[in-house]
Amino acid sequence: MNDDYLWDSSGEPDPEIQKLETALGRFRHQDREPNFPEVMPFAKPRFWQRVLPSRWSLGFGLAAATAVILLIVAIGILQWSQKQGVTSGPGWDLESVAGTPRVESGAFGKRAKAGKLGIGQTLVTDSHSQATISVAEIGTVNVEPNTRLRLMAGGKGRHQLALERGTIHAFIWAAPGEFTVDTPSAIAVDLGCAYTLHVDNSGAGLLRTTLGWVGFKLDDHEAFIPAGAVCATRPKVGPGTPYFEDASVSFRDALSKFDFAAKSPEERSAELGKILAEARERDALTVWHLLARAGEPDRGRVYDRLATLVPPPSGVTRDGILRLDPKMLDLWWNQLDLGDVSLWRTWERSWSRDKTSGK
Amino acid sequence: MSTSPSPQSSDDASLVVAAREGDRAAFGGLYARYARMVHGILLARVPHNDVDDLVQDVFLRALPRLRDLRDAAKFGPWLAAITRNCANDFHRQTRTIAAATDSLSEDEAELPASKPAPAAEAAMILAFVRNLPNAYRETLILRLVEGMTGPEIAARTGLTPGSVRVNLHRGMQQLREKLSQAAPDTSIQPQVRPGKNSTVQDKNGLRGRNEP
Repeated sequence: MNDDYLWDSSGEPDPEIQKLETALGRFRHQDREPNFPEVMPFAKPRFWQRVLPSRWSLGFGLAAATAVILLIVAIGILQWSQKQGVTSGPGWDLESVAGTPRVESGAFGKRAKAGKLGIGQTLVTDSHSQATISVAEIGTVNVEPNTRLRLMAGGKGRHQLALERGTIHAFIWAAPGEFTVDTPSAIAVDLGCAYTLHVDNSGAGLLRTTLGWVGFKLDDHEAFIPAGAVCATRPKVGPGTPYFEDASVSFRDALSKFDFAAKSPEERSAELGKILAEARERDALTVWHLLARAGEPDRGRVYDRLATLVPPPSGVTRDGILRLDPKMLDLWWNQLDLGDVSLWRTWERSWSRDKTSGK
Repeated sequence: MSTSPSPQSSDDASLVVAAREGDRAAFGGLYARYARMVHGILLARVPHNDVDDLVQDVFLRALPRLRDLRDAAKFGPWLAAITRNCANDFHRQTRTIAAATDSLSEDEAELPASKPAPAAEAAMILAFVRNLPNAYRETLILRLVEGMTGPEIAARTGLTPGSVRVNLHRGMQQLREKLSQAAPDTSIQPQVRPGKNSTVQDKNGLRGRNEP
């Protein structure tokens, strides 16, 4: 495959890609600009338009009457929502998608479609309600039914939710590490851009990344989940080992037992053997994580398997990996080409600082 | 994902500022720049027949929200997120997530024994692209369907060039594998020759990696 041609159409044309371009070109966007409103919704009128309305017409009268009615309705909604406990001050914008989501004790879906989620407030959806949160200027979070979450922080450069139970879909375009979600068993750290996070009633969670990659952390236990991969987490255990969803069933079964079910080192070692035997090149993601998760006696064979899937880069030695040298582990991770680990380390440092200073 | 400011984003910023002031031509300028991106992101997620209407919906949805976008240079990533949300809303409303691949899911996307008509072949290839992981299919559709280059995709979506390059490369690899498995006797079948991981080219110009 000619990568230059695939990248920017330069170099020698790749016939395979050209053929695909020709076939798929029939679906291409047809360049017709649609009819957008002639009057832009927030256009500022010119001075003379404000002072001397040029058309004393029925249209002008109707527009003015509509504006007055809208103003009265808006004031009514505002007063009602304040009575109901929906914050109107600083916070994240909420929009009801279905049913009547509740912020603290106030339902905002029935009459007012929009509300605010203030810092410290809890949003709850029942089995019929859904909501969308606009996360300051950094993205959106869609909240599925039967979800309970709290806004922990919404300041500059730090946006934090706590998901107690339920499901959210996050689409985030903030700088990596700015948006985090606490769950009962791990913290999910956005490293850009989109993922789904589910927490059940026991506090166990599942994170599925659809775009970019996400970090999952409990104490020193961490997992990196790139697009197409998932990672389970359990209370008191933390994140399991991430894997690509297209891995074989036996691979995933063995991994689940290794992470959460195996009780003795022997059982874990047996499951590890199955995982390593089944691992494809793409499963280097999983095998890299196993370096730090396997017991010391097993680490050598994890190294050997990973080395066959993705050869260690220069500067990485077997001895160094066996003693879990952090720099070497990071170097090898970067070699997998799934995301730059320095983004994660930067977040980790600032997070540790905040934790130490009690922020 | 953050990227350093580029001439592209500063141009966008001036258009966004003008559009906020009610300059319809400026909004038209943003449409001209971003329609292909929006179309491609939607095509990766919703049935083809609904994409054109949704493109207009996305821009109509973005228009009144422009004032909420404080960093005008981030218009592209912001619009991309609105587009993805719009696709999600489409599925919520229609409850036909399974139909996202039109009437042709990957399981159904087996080619007939004889050479398929160009339209059917194109639909089949699109179905395969749309069954790739999200990150790959979106980037690949922007490249192969919308004709955007890698640097353009990065500039428009806010992804880093490195991520786009990786998505393109891996997406293309996976697409080739899927096509080679599904099309043993047709024009898009890659020719298989001995030798692990070797890349070969067939008589029709499509290449595939040999399986061990």
